[in-house]
Amino acid sequence: MDRSPEEGETSHMIDMTTSEKVVDLLNQAALIPTDEKLAVLKQVQELIINKDPSLLDNFLDEMIAFQTDKSIEVKKFVIGFIEEACKRDNELLLRLIANLNMLLKDESVNVVKKAILTLTQLYKVTLQWLLRAKGASDMQEACWDMVTQMKEDVLAQLDSENDGVRTHAIKFTEALIISLSARTSDSDIPKRQEGDISLDKVPKDHPYIRYDVLCEEGKSALEKMLKFMVHPAISSINLTTALGSLASIARQRPMFMSEVVQSFETLHANLPPTLAKSQVSSVRKNLKLHLVAVLKHPCSLEYQGQISTLLLDLGMPQSEITRSTPVVREQRKRPRHEQYTEGKKVKMEPTMMEDDEDKEEPASLTAPKPAAVPVVQSAIDVTAEFLRPLLNPQNVANLVLISMVYLPDVMPASFQATYTPVESAGTDAQIKHLARMMATQMTSAGIGPGLEKSKAREDDTCKEEANEEDSVSKDLIIKRKVAKKGQAISVVGGYSENVPTVEIPTPAIVKRLPEPIVPTAQTKMTGATGRKKVFRLSDVVQTLSDAQIETLTSKAIKRILHSEKAIAQSGMSHVRVKLLSRLVTQFDGRMKEDVLAFILEDIRTRSDLAFSLLYQEYNTYLSQLPSGLLESYEHCLYTLLSGLQEKPEQRDGLFTKLVLEAPIITESALEVIRRYCEDESRVYLGMTTLKELIIKRPSRQFQYLHVLLDLSSHEKEKVRTTALSFLKRMYEKDQLRDYIEKFALNYLQLLVHPNPPSLLFGADKDTEVASPWTEETVRQCLFLYLSLLPLNHRLVHELASVYTEAIADIKRSVLRAIEQPIRGMGMNSPELLLLVENCPKGAETLVTRCLHILTDKVPPSPELVERVRDLYHKRVPDNEVIQALPKLIKLNPIVVKEVFNRLLGTQHSEGSSSVSPLTPGDLLIALHNIDSTKCDMKSIIKATNLCFGEKNVYTSEVLAVVMQQLMEHSPLPILLMRTVIQSLTMYPRLGGFVMNILSRLIVKQVWKYPKVWEGFVKCCQRTKPQSYSVLLQLPPAQLTSVFERCPEMRDPLLQHVLSFTPHQQAHIPTSIMTILEANKKSPVKPVEPVVEQEIETLTAPAATVSEMVPTATLKEPEMEVQHEPFQHEPFQHEPVQHEPVQQESFQPEPFQHKPVQHEPVQHKPFEHRPVQQEQVQHEPVPQESFQHEQVQHELLQPETIRHEPVQREAAIMHEEEPMEQEEDFEPVIQEEGVGTVSQVELERDSDTPSLTLRQLTSHQRFLNPNLQTSRSQREMLKPRPPAQRLTAAARTWNDKRTQDKIRVWPQQLIFLRFLVKRFVFVGMSLRK
Amino acid sequence: MPSHPLRVAVVCSSNQNRSMEAHNILSKRGFDVRSFGTGSHVKLPGPAPDKPNVYDFKTTYEQMYNDLVRKDKELYTQNGILHMLDRNKRIKSKPERFQNCKDKFDLVITCEERVYDQVLEDLSSREQETLQPVHVINVDIQDNHEEATLGAFLICELCQCIQHTDDMENEIDELLQELEEKSNRPFLHSVCFY
Repeated sequence: MDRSPEEGETSHMIDMTTSEKVVDLLNQAALIPTDEKLAVLKQVQELIINKDPSLLDNFLDEMIAFQTDKSIEVKKFVIGFIEEACKRDNELLLRLIANLNMLLKDESVNVVKKAILTLTQLYKVTLQWLLRAKGASDMQEACWDMVTQMKEDVLAQLDSENDGVRTHAIKFTEALIISLSARTSDSDIPKRQEGDISLDKVPKDHPYIRYDVLCEEGKSALEKMLKFMVHPAISSINLTTALGSLASIARQRPMFMSEVVQSFETLHANLPPTLAKSQVSSVRKNLKLHLVAVLKHPCSLEYQGQISTLLLDLGMPQSEITRSTPVVREQRKRPRHEQYTEGKKVKMEPTMMEDDEDKEEPASLTAPKPAAVPVVQSAIDVTAEFLRPLLNPQNVANLVLISMVYLPDVMPASFQATYTPVESAGTDAQIKHLARMMATQMTSAGIGPGLEKSKAREDDTCKEEANEEDSVSKDLIIKRKVAKKGQAISVVGGYSENVPTVEIPTPAIVKRLPEPIVPTAQTKMTGATGRKKVFRLSDVVQTLSDAQIETLTSKAIKRILHSEKAIAQSGMSHVRVKLLSRLVTQFDGRMKEDVLAFILEDIRTRSDLAFSLLYQEYNTYLSQLPSGLLESYEHCLYTLLSGLQEKPEQRDGLFTKLVLEAPIITESALEVIRRYCEDESRVYLGMTTLKELIIKRPSRQFQYLHVLLDLSSHEKEKVRTTALSFLKRMYEKDQLRDYIEKFALNYLQLLVHPNPPSLLFGADKDTEVASPWTEETVRQCLFLYLSLLPLNHRLVHELASVYTEAIADIKRSVLRAIEQPIRGMGMNSPELLLLVENCPKGAETLVTRCLHILTDKVPPSPELVERVRDLYHKRVPDNEVIQALPKLIKLNPIVVKEVFNRLLGTQHSEGSSSVSPLTPGDLLIALHNIDSTKCDMKSIIKATNLCFGEKNVYTSEVLAVVMQQLMEHSPLPILLMRTVIQSLTMYPRLGGFVMNILSRLIVKQVWKYPKVWEGFVKCCQRTKPQSYSVLLQLPPAQLTSVFERCPEMRDPLLQHVLSFTPHQQAHIPTSIMTILEANKKSPVKPVEPVVEQEIETLTAPAATVSEMVPTATLKEPEMEVQHEPFQHEPFQHEPVQHEPVQQESFQPEPFQHKPVQHEPVQHKPFEHRPVQQEQVQHEPVPQESFQHEQVQHELLQPETIRHEPVQREAAIMHEEEPMEQEEDFEPVIQEEGVGTVSQVELERDSDTPSLTLRQLTSHQRFLNPNLQTSRSQREMLKPRPPAQRLTAAARTWNDKRTQDKIRVWPQQLIFLRFLVKRFVFVGMSLRK
Repeated sequence: MPSHPLRVAVVCSSNQNRSMEAHNILSKRGFDVRSFGTGSHVKLPGPAPDKPNVYDFKTTYEQMYNDLVRKDKELYTQNGILHMLDRNKRIKSKPERFQNCKDKFDLVITCEERVYDQVLEDLSSREQETLQPVHVINVDIQDNHEEATLGAFLICELCQCIQHTDDMENEIDELLQELEEKSNRPFLHSVCFY
C-alpha cells in the first residue's frame, strides 16, 4: 500500500507485456540524454533479442532508426545491435546489411571501427548462412554482393589514414584470410571459433558464392597483409597487430606458415626506419612472442631452423627456444596428416553438394596449395644455396668495404636495438644464416637465381590458369543477370541509392578472375623488375651537348610563351600557365629570365602566369626542405616586384596584390617594397601594402614594421609624414606598440651621442660619421618620438632624460621641435605635470619651454600653477635669490623688472598665499649690499630704480624702514644717499625723517664716504631750508666742503643763522660762523686738502672717477687737465673689466635694432655726442670711457624714472645727456625704452591677464636662451601684433647676446628666470 | 575525447605497491581503473631478502596486515609495508591476478618489462572473440615507495593525455613518444585483441 513511486512504476512495468514495455522504453529513449538512452536501448535489446526474439522483427525499424542519432555511442550501440540481431536471426542480414554498410562509411572513426569489428563477425555469419540457405533468392545474392563489396571496402581501409582504422582492418583481414582458406587437421583452432566457416566448408557448386573466387580472395587478402607489413612507413601498432595476425594465421592455417615465417625474417632484417627506439624494442618483443607461438605449432618443424635463428637474434636463450620447440615425433606426422586430410577433403566435397561444374575442382584445389608454398620458399632457399659457397673471406671483405659507402651517418634505431654480437662468427651455421639473410633481402629486392626458377614455374601456372578462363566467363553472364535484381532493404528510408553498389562486386570479380594465380607478392615483383634490368636507357639515347640542350629548351619555352593568344582562344590558358611555371621552376638557366621578362612586358594580362610561377617556385622550395634554398623564389619575387616598382604608372594594385599573396616576403623583396614606399607618388599605396603585411603576417610583422619605422625618419617629407601617420595608427595595436615605442626611444637615445651615429645617414653615407649634429639629424631622431608623444604621454620622461645628457646644439633643436607635440598633450596631461613636478636636473630649460608652449595661448590651469609653485619652493631658497641678484640685475632691464615684480609680489595684491622669498624692503637692502666688484653700479642703480617704480610696494613706510636699516650698515652703502633722495622725491612728507637720517649720518662721519658725502650734500641742497639745521651740525671742515660744492648755499644758510634769536646764535660755534661769513674770502685752499685727502683714501677707483668725470663733462677744458692723473691709475679700468663680454656682444647690436627703433628721430642728436666727447677725452675706446661716465652719472642721478619726468631737476648734473648717450651705444637702453612702454602697459593693463600674459610670453621667449637661432624660426614666432615690438627686441637681444654665453650661466640663474614666469601664473590664477 | 571513459588496468607483479599506488591516484582523478598482479603469488618483503612473505591471491590485504603486525610490527611499520597495506585495503579487499580477470580494458599499463611480457603472453594466449583492441604500455618503475609514487604520477599523466585525445588509437603513438622524451623513460607499447 505504501509503496514508493519507483516501486509502483516497477510493478507497473512488470504488469505490462514485453511488447508494451519495449514501446515504453523506445518512447523514453527518443527523449533522454545519451547516457540514459544507451541504458534504455540496452534494455530493449535484451528484451527483443534474448527475452522475446519474436518481437525483434516488430521493433527492428525503431531500433535501427537510432543509427542517425548524433551520439557516437548510440551509433555504436546500433552496430552492436545489428550484430546481435543478425546473429540471432540470420534472415535479418537481408534487411540490416545495408545499414551496416552505411555505418561503415560514417564520418566518425569510432563508428567505422565498430562497424569493421561487426563486419568481421557478420562476414562469417553471412557466408555461413547463405551457404546453408536452401535455394538462391535474389535478395540473398544481393546481400552477399553487398557483403563482398563491404569486405573490399574494409580491405581498402588498410590504407586508411587513421591508425586505429588500419588496426581494425588488419584484424578483419586476418579473420577473412582464415575464413577464406581451408581448415586442415593441423590447424590450431581456438575453441570459440570451432564452428566458424572456413573455405573447406564452402561447396563448390553454390549458385553465387564461388569456391575458387573465395579462395582467391583469401589469398589476395593474405598478399595484401604481407605487403602491408613490409611497408617501410608502417606504424608500430599496425606492425604489432599484423605480426599477431600473421602468427595467428600461421597457427590456424599452417599452409601459410612459410609466408609468415619468411615475412617475419624479412621484417627482422628490415625493421621500418620510421620506428623510434622504444618502438623497435616493442616490435622485437612482439616478434619474439609471436615467433614462439608459431614455433610451438607442430607444423613449424620445417622452419625451426629459421625461427630459432631469428629468436636467437632477438635475444632468446637457446634453452628457452628448445623448450618452446614441439617434440619432433609429432612433427613427423604432419606432412602425412596433411596429405591425408587433403585427400579426404577432396573426397568429401562432391558428396556435400550436387556438382554441376566439377571441372573447377582440380584446378582450384591444386593451384593454391602446392604451387604457392614451395615456390617462394625455394626462391629464398635456392638463392641461399647459391650464395653460401660464395661467402669466402675475400668476398665478404669486399662486400663489407663496398657497403661501408652506403652506411648512413647516424645509426638507425632499429639497428641499434637489434644488433647482437655474432657469437659464432665464421662457423658453418653462421655462414648459412648469413646466406639466408642475404637471400631474403635479394628475393624481396627481386634478384637472385631462386627467383628465376620460381618465375619459370609461375609461367607454367599461368598457362594452366588460362585454360580455366572460358568456364569462368560463362558463369559471369548468368551472374550478372541475377545481380541486377539485387535489392537492399530500406529500413529507415532513403537507402535505395545503395542498390547500384550491389552491382559493383560483380565487375570486380570479373576483373580479378582472369588474373593469373600469383603465389606471393615477391615473386610477382621479381618478374617485373627482372625484365627492366635488361633494358638500358643509356644504350638507346644519345647525349646532347649542354649548349644544344640550352638552346632547345629555351626555344621550346619561347614557343610556349608566344603561343599565348592561340592558347587563350582554345580556353586552355590555365594549362599553359601551369606548364610554363612547372617547366621553368624545374630547370635552371636562361628561361627563367625569359619568362620573367615576358611577364613584365605586360604584367597586367600576364599576372596569372606571374602568380603561378611564384607559387611554383615556392612549392619547389618547400619540397626541398630543409636543405632547399629560397634563392630561386627570391629572384622571381624580386624581379617581379622591381619590375612593377619601376613601371611608371599602374593603378590596379598589382604590386600590392603580389606582395600580399606572395607566400614569403624575402629580404630583397622587402627592399623593393621599401623603394616603392620611398616613391612620393606611391607612398600611400606602398605603405598601405606594408601595413597589410604587418597586420596579416604576424610571424614576421616586426621585420615589416621595421621598414615602416625606418621610413618615419626619411628625408622626404611626404614619405615621412605618411609613415608617421601609419605608425600612429599602428601604435594603437597592442602587439606592435612596444616595438614602435622601443624604436622611437632608441632613436631618441641617439641624441646623447656627441656626433650623429652613422645609422642616421643610411648605409651609403658612411663617410659622414664624424660630422656634427645638425638641425636635420636631430629632427630625424625625433620625428617618430614626437608623433607618439601625444598618444603616450608617459614617453615625455624619456625626452627629459635624453635632454639632460644632450649637447647644447641638440638641446636647442629639441626645444624648437617639441612645440606641436607638447601643445598636443595639453597642460592637463598628468605625465606632463609629473615632469614639471619632478623636473630632472638639467632639464629645467626643457620644462620651461614646455610650460611656455602650454601657456602660450591659454591661461595655465590651477594644477599647473600648483606644480610650478611647489617646484619653486623646492628649488629656490631665499639666499639663492640674493646670491643671484648681482647676475640677475645685469640682465635686460625688462627681465629685471619682471623678476622684481614677481619677487615683490606686485601682481598679487591682497592675502596671496604665495610667499615671496623676499620682502620688498629686503630686496632693496640686498641691492644696496651688492658688492660693487661683482656688479657694475649702473645695473644696481637701474635695479633700484625699478624698485622705486613700484610705488604701491615701496610705500613711505617701507622706504623709511629701508633707510633706517641701511643707516646701520657699516660701511655705509654707496647708494644710500641716492635712495634717500629718491625716497624724499617720492614722498616729500618723509622730510622730517630724512633730516633725522642726515643728522645721524653726521654722527657716523658721513664725509668719510665720498660718494655718500656727495649725496649728503646734494640732499641738503634739495631739502633746504629744512636741512639748514642739519648743516649747522657739521664740523667746520665739512661745512666748508659743502660750500665748496654748493657755494650758493652759503648765503641762505647765513641768512638763516642770522634770523636766529641771539640766544640761538650763541649755540653756533664761531668756527662755523667764520665759515658762514667767509663769503668774500676764498676758503678754497684750506678746504681742498680735505678733498684731496679723501681722494687719496679712496679704494674704489670707480668712486675716484665718479668724482672727477662729471666735472669733466661740465667744464670740458678744465677737466681735461684734471683727468690726466687718473688715467694713469690702473684701477681705472677695473669696473670695465666686469663686463667685457657683454660689451663685445653689444657692439653689433645697433644694426639689429634698427627696425625696432620706433623713434629714430630721437636718436640723431645723441649720436653726435659721443663724437664730441671722444675728441675731448682722447680715449682710445670711447665706449669704455662712457661706460665710466655713465656709471658715475647714474650714481648721482636718482631721476631715472621716466614716467615721472617732472621730478627731474636740472641742478643735478647731466642727468639726461649721459642717459641718451648710453642709449646710443647700448641697445640695452634702447630696449629699456621699449621696455618702458611695455612696463607702462603692464601697469595699465594689469587687470587684463591676457594682455599681460601675451607680453610675458614674448618675454618668456627671450628669457629662454636656447629658443631661437634661425631666422625662419623667428618668422614663425612673429605674428602677434600687440607685443610684436617687444618680441622682436627681445629676440634680437636674445639671439646675439646671450646665445652662447647663456650656456655658461649657472643653472640657478636659468632657473630663476624660469621662475619669473611662474610667478605671473601664480598671481593670475589666484586672482581668478 | 573518446566517448566513453577509458577502462584502465594497472598491473605490477604483486598488486601491492606500484599498481596500487597508481590505482589510488587514478581513481582519485576519476578514472575507471583496476589493478592487478601477474605473479603466481603475492610477495611482500620479509625480514631478509631471501625470506619474503608469500601469500596467494586469495588473501585479503587485511589478513596480510594482521599477519605482519603479528610477525614484526616494528619492522613492517618502519619499512612502510603496513602503511601500504593499510592504504590498499581502503581501495579494495584483496589483490587480483591479471591472468584471472576476464574483464575488458582499453588500456593496460604494466610497471615492469617482465610484467609486460606476462600480460602480452596472457592476452595473446586468450582466444580472440570481439577483436576489441587493448593497448598495453609498459612504464618501468622500480619497486619501492618513492618510485611508485613518481611512477603513479607518470601513469596518471599518460592516462590523462590519452583520455584527452580525440582519437586515441590514431594519436597514441605520437603521444607516447612525446611523453617518452619528456619523462626520459622508454615505453614499451603493444596492442592486443579480446
